[in-house]
Amino acid sequence: MDMHMAPHPQVTLNGVSYNATPGVRPVRVDGCDTIAKLFARRCSELGDQTAHREKDMGIWKACSWTDYWTHAKWLGLGLRALGLQRGEVVSILSEDRKEWIYADMGIQGVGGIASGVYTTDSPAQLAYILNNSESRVLFVEDDEQLDKFLEIQDEVPGLARVVIFEREGLHDLNHSKCLFIEDLYEVGRTFEAENPGCFRDEIAKSQPDDTALLIYTSGTTGQPKGAMLSHENILSTMEASARALTFMRSDELLCFLPLCHILERNVSVYLPLAASCTVNFAESPETVFDNLSEVSPSTFFAVPRVWEKIYSKVMVLMQEATPIGRWAFNRAIKAGMARADYLMQNLPVPGRVAARYLFWDVLVLRNLRRMLGMDRMRRGGSGAAPISPELLKWYWSIGVRLVEGYGMTENAGLTAVNTVEANRLGSVGQPVPGITIRIADDGEIQTLGLNNFQGYWHNAEKTAETYTSDGWLRTGDVGQVDQDGYLTITGRIKDIIITTGGKNITPAEIESRLKFSHYISDAVVIGDQRKYLSCLIMIDQENVEKFAQDHKIPFSDFASLCAAQEVVALIEGEVEAVNHEFARVEQIKQFRLINVLLTAEDDELTATMKLKRNLVEQKHKALIDQMY
Amino acid sequence: MGDALLEIKNLESFYGPIMAIRGVSLKVEKGQIVTVLGANGAGKSTLLKTISGIMDPEKGQVIFKGCEIQGQEPHRIVQHGIVHVPEGREVFPLLTVDENLTLGAYTRNDKVGVQRDREMVFDYFPILAERRGQEAGTLSGGQQQMLAIGRGLMLSPEIMLLDEPSLGLSPLLVQEIFAILRRLNAEEKVTMVLVEQNARIALDLANVGYVMEIGRIVMDGTAERLMQSEDIKAFYLGHQEAGQRDERRWKRKKTWR
Repeated sequence: MDMHMAPHPQVTLNGVSYNATPGVRPVRVDGCDTIAKLFARRCSELGDQTAHREKDMGIWKACSWTDYWTHAKWLGLGLRALGLQRGEVVSILSEDRKEWIYADMGIQGVGGIASGVYTTDSPAQLAYILNNSESRVLFVEDDEQLDKFLEIQDEVPGLARVVIFEREGLHDLNHSKCLFIEDLYEVGRTFEAENPGCFRDEIAKSQPDDTALLIYTSGTTGQPKGAMLSHENILSTMEASARALTFMRSDELLCFLPLCHILERNVSVYLPLAASCTVNFAESPETVFDNLSEVSPSTFFAVPRVWEKIYSKVMVLMQEATPIGRWAFNRAIKAGMARADYLMQNLPVPGRVAARYLFWDVLVLRNLRRMLGMDRMRRGGSGAAPISPELLKWYWSIGVRLVEGYGMTENAGLTAVNTVEANRLGSVGQPVPGITIRIADDGEIQTLGLNNFQGYWHNAEKTAETYTSDGWLRTGDVGQVDQDGYLTITGRIKDIIITTGGKNITPAEIESRLKFSHYISDAVVIGDQRKYLSCLIMIDQENVEKFAQDHKIPFSDFASLCAAQEVVALIEGEVEAVNHEFARVEQIKQFRLINVLLTAEDDELTATMKLKRNLVEQKHKALIDQMY
Repeated sequence: MGDALLEIKNLESFYGPIMAIRGVSLKVEKGQIVTVLGANGAGKSTLLKTISGIMDPEKGQVIFKGCEIQGQEPHRIVQHGIVHVPEGREVFPLLTVDENLTLGAYTRNDKVGVQRDREMVFDYFPILAERRGQEAGTLSGGQQQMLAIGRGLMLSPEIMLLDEPSLGLSPLLVQEIFAILRRLNAEEKVTMVLVEQNARIALDLANVGYVMEIGRIVMDGTAERLMQSEDIKAFYLGHQEAGQRDERRWKRKKTWR
């Protein structure tokens, strides 16, 4: 630790000490100035307490902070023994699991830089990222991911080793570069025996401005870029969230979004490290909703798509319910909405409204929350994409305090966030402590703070484009700040549509309204340099199928479902309803349904299942041309 | 597009509390062979049972020659000209081949026609003629399957619903039986709905195919188109995609496009 700088006065928040003034150097969490040092401290403090839980053969199994420490240590020292130098990159290609996090901490512990790769990436994308990051070692989850490496092994000469988490199906594997995680642990154990205390020494060498991780951002144009985040960047996010997002020692969390993404990485690795929470890993992306109700997390962060899905699920359940059940549910929602009106504006709830809510809460809503796994939820969070205000309000009405936040990879994931206490519907909240924002002349949101990233890995040109001449980060988002300091995002600068009529339109607002329909999963509004606005719509398969079934509309596969007249009419109705909320020039005159069922492997979708505007426009050009 | 002889719209059927068919729509034109592919438990047999009236649908319609016939008793459906050849070749084991065929024509009164059809069955399945006096239970599996099909033919059906005729038979016998089905379709103009797990042989015979998974249709198209689909190749035709290692455990994700 730096002895030459005088420590700042400290403040204790939920049992963890932070600088009393946020946003000043050196940023410290419980006296530690790097992630690795904090990791060492937490593991020795918490010892046998549960750090992680993973479901194995149907049973949740607990792993302690000591397990966390031991495995990360062996893994880190193993890498060290295999020749990893400080400042070199190691990539991780795996679904969420505890070994992912062990690797993250092991790599950082010996001064390496951890870089996650999406499991949905193709072999070619993997090759690009490995080469671009100059990765020395790659961790792969299983045989499926290993095959991606094997396919491109000749294209990645710089990669020295591949470490495999799962042995299943690979007993006969004989490849000079490949080894299993157990073998790596063994190498690390041997190395430790020969160099006692080496891991702690390496951790002590870590400096706040060392790059801790690379996060590749899914560029909508061109190849992905590796954003370099330092220890200080992440600690600055910890510091800000200690004030804006309460995490407590007793918190149970659920990890299910890709850990390659800054949002999940923060809420499932770094923030729990700061606050000493327990993280539970969902079994697979398909079982998230079941795992959610099993774990019943204390706080839960998800992308809008997940919140939309849960809402749809409830809506469908209600349609199937008995008339009495439906009646009760509607009354309960009504009572909840009345209360939410007050709560969301921080107004005291009048006694009658509160009493009516309490009645329906006991009768209906409490059970609903228990069923969804939200009965212990202190706070829900949504980020990474805009969420519709109606949806937020619906969650408040059933007693789930869902708030929207805003951040990006380039500022370590957290810029602004609504809190349960200070919440303004439709905004993404006030800037978090320690971070300053300003709105440039063209409407762009720019941020300044110790969370601003170090730049793109080996890409000075793009880095320069991302910063203003006076050192502020360009977010690329357009927005406004109101008199109370709440930030509202209206869209991406690049997405601004200028119609031939000369009107500037930000499509994100219209799209997020469309997505609130539980028949619409995502939408892309088009109209740049065109006479009027049009829209490509991805329908929600489950709900539209159910609609077709209920209305006796014959269909066979997905394409025929999209082609059914009644389905087109249904979506037309939804589009019409949204159009009413907008001015004439902002109304959608034409739309088409994307009649292929897209999966995460498709280029058009991001890992969080959002449509990528540019690729959608390219791939479905024929459909778009039909509309003009 | 020709006339739909049989049309199914939004069919839903339950096995007790389990929804075995979750909204299936398909069309069979006169003279076509339509195959329904799918793994165990996809709902294929339930579909046939619902058409032939053995099970009642919860929702949806079965339209045969323009009339709704869903929910009718099985014997009424047989009289419309729909014959169901169930899975597992359920012949009457203690009756002779001849008696089995006679039972097949139980609902018919025209002796001449019955006699003609019996000759036709023997013409298509000469082995049955040889064994006409033998108890059906003593026939081999392949012969029992032939008898089950033959018994169905005794109703001079307009459409035959065949439930896994290849099940448990040797590849050679399967070839033989499918060749006969092809002839029956070509010469006698019997329309067929063929439920199969053996996708290769089914697509080879059929004009049109539907793929069912957990009670839903996930893909449909001409047999040629289905045979070209990467998903069908990987999951139904057993093509091993060229992998990086000799043994590959995982499979590509299905996209059905």
